[in-house]
Amino acid sequence: MRLAAAELVDSREILPGQWLQSYHAPDLAIGSRAGQFVHARTGDFSGLVLRRPFSLNTADPSTGIITIHFRVVGRGTEWFTHLRPGDAIDLLGPLGRPFEVDSRSQHILLIAGGLGIAGVRMLADEAIRAGRQVTLLFGAASARDVYPSSLLPDEVEYVVATDDGTLGHHGFVTELVTDYEGWADQAFACGPTPMLAVLAQLVAGRRDRLGVAKLGRRRGGGRTAPAGSPAARRKAFLQVSMEQNMGCAVGACLGCVVMTTSGTPQRVCREGPVFAYDEIAWQGGW
Amino acid sequence: MTATGRPAAARRTPAAAERPRSGGSGPPVQGLSGRPAALRPVARDTPATVEIAPSQVDLSVDLGRGLVLPNPILVASGTFGYGIEYGDVVDVNRLGGICCKGTTLRARIGNPPPRVTETPGGMLNSIGLQNPGVDAVIEKYARTWATWRAPVLVNVAGESVRDYVEVARRLDGVPGVAGIELNISCPNVGAGGLQFAIDAGAAGEVTAAVRRATDLPLLVKLSPNVADIRPIARAIADAGADALTAINTLSGIALSPRRDRPLLGNIYGGLSGPAVKPVALRIVYEAVQTVKIPVIAIGGVTELSDVLDFLAVGAVAVQVGTAIFADPTVPIRLVDELAVVCARRGMTSYRDLIGTALPPGKGRPSAKGVEYRP
Repeated sequence: MRLAAAELVDSREILPGQWLQSYHAPDLAIGSRAGQFVHARTGDFSGLVLRRPFSLNTADPSTGIITIHFRVVGRGTEWFTHLRPGDAIDLLGPLGRPFEVDSRSQHILLIAGGLGIAGVRMLADEAIRAGRQVTLLFGAASARDVYPSSLLPDEVEYVVATDDGTLGHHGFVTELVTDYEGWADQAFACGPTPMLAVLAQLVAGRRDRLGVAKLGRRRGGGRTAPAGSPAARRKAFLQVSMEQNMGCAVGACLGCVVMTTSGTPQRVCREGPVFAYDEIAWQGGW
Repeated sequence: MTATGRPAAARRTPAAAERPRSGGSGPPVQGLSGRPAALRPVARDTPATVEIAPSQVDLSVDLGRGLVLPNPILVASGTFGYGIEYGDVVDVNRLGGICCKGTTLRARIGNPPPRVTETPGGMLNSIGLQNPGVDAVIEKYARTWATWRAPVLVNVAGESVRDYVEVARRLDGVPGVAGIELNISCPNVGAGGLQFAIDAGAAGEVTAAVRRATDLPLLVKLSPNVADIRPIARAIADAGADALTAINTLSGIALSPRRDRPLLGNIYGGLSGPAVKPVALRIVYEAVQTVKIPVIAIGGVTELSDVLDFLAVGAVAVQVGTAIFADPTVPIRLVDELAVVCARRGMTSYRDLIGTALPPGKGRPSAKGVEYRP
């Protein structure tokens, strides 16, 4: 974690109200992993007292370029859209814990709901670089909100669902998962919490029949890693990237917690944003 | 606290150094009744005849009972965790002090999310005192705190006098714990937090009980959610507190984007940030004229002018809170900037900045703790 200067290189509205921005931030492009995020300071000091957390959408160590993808939801996100190439902002990062891919996983299933694509996008790059096959299931309200395939690596198999049926499968993206769960060694999802809860429900109770578990036990596989550890998450068929209103993003303020099955709230910024599906208490628990 | 690397003797206030509250003489605390304008050091903006380097300015704050802060810029409870979270981004040894996350007798899971939201010029939070309990806090962090130069004040919350007393007892004598900041004002705990802070009798009672339980320096944090702070401040001071801190957050709510319910999981949250600064200024202004113990200000401190404002109304130190979220380097920058301003004005001590905006004839407010008299 460090405070890094980032210079805007490119900024464009790729979907209605959704922006893709590239920043030159070598300190963050090197050493960041898929699933991690940055906490960006707005330059509007007149009234905005909090930073804004953004998933690292992509990070290219060779060029030092990172990208973020966000929707304009208020004054803070609006402020970022007014930046011009050459403008510098201040990013705190990389923050949070990344997705954990089992070394045996060859088939990677990514599931994204709407802007959730920003949470799993970088994992596609990482997986392809590691020689894995990637399928992305993407859900949106309507065709106009569908993530452009031109922004994805060619190697990714891209399957779309829309709520209104204007493109691809007519229905929720979660309905596509049954067709791919047999193929997938591991699945990684980001999107609205109800979507993630449905996915967790699909997977629940079938841990020994899905994904990496069916590849057979490794040496020492009998040992159970403590819940929440990278080793335990690596064994999970489904990992989810959670979202929550955030204050400090370093674990100090305890603002961004989610309830876990252990009965203890965990910080999205520190223990997360990536969790194994069975760590989260989807019904709440307060 | 000898483990901090400071000789214990240097941190003790010799009784002989005790000065009367007002009408006293000699620097650094100039208790001048009526303060003739010619003697007001703060008015001097022309360069001093003797050059003073920023590093030569005395920024130390003596809160009494042996607690000496290296400088008057602290970090506020709840915004800096247990001091370790910001890692290399903030050098904790340059801070004047650290008020840790609110600590209770038993572990608490806190309030359901969402817990934070931004508001105009500020933010609302309703963490609900999530913490692992005092024993776990001591076990996990005290050893680290003992190695720091910056004193750590453990912020203590509770739902009964007995809870407060028990937590204080367990903190007493723990290396690394430099003092206690009593949170009797956290507005997020329905079961009683607010009641102590809004009633002079209850505030005095809990302060006195904790005072009897520990010899640790005892700071008590005031709630702004009261009609008149003066009787409450007086009761806390009379009960033996070494200093006051003010203010805690203001109670408020925010709405969900669809306006179909309050946004925060707990409905109510505490407002902090620049939006509360005028309220904090008013309460510090009133408190310093009511009590003889030092007052530490909290409320929207973001830049040096905020620090100077709070010193001018009589605070001896400030805590930086919400501003840390936007820029974690703010507190240390304020330490440097304060020293530069003092040096530029020819001041050998920042204490000359204290109380300049108070009504004349009152004498300077206390910039030093009362020596412990059992």
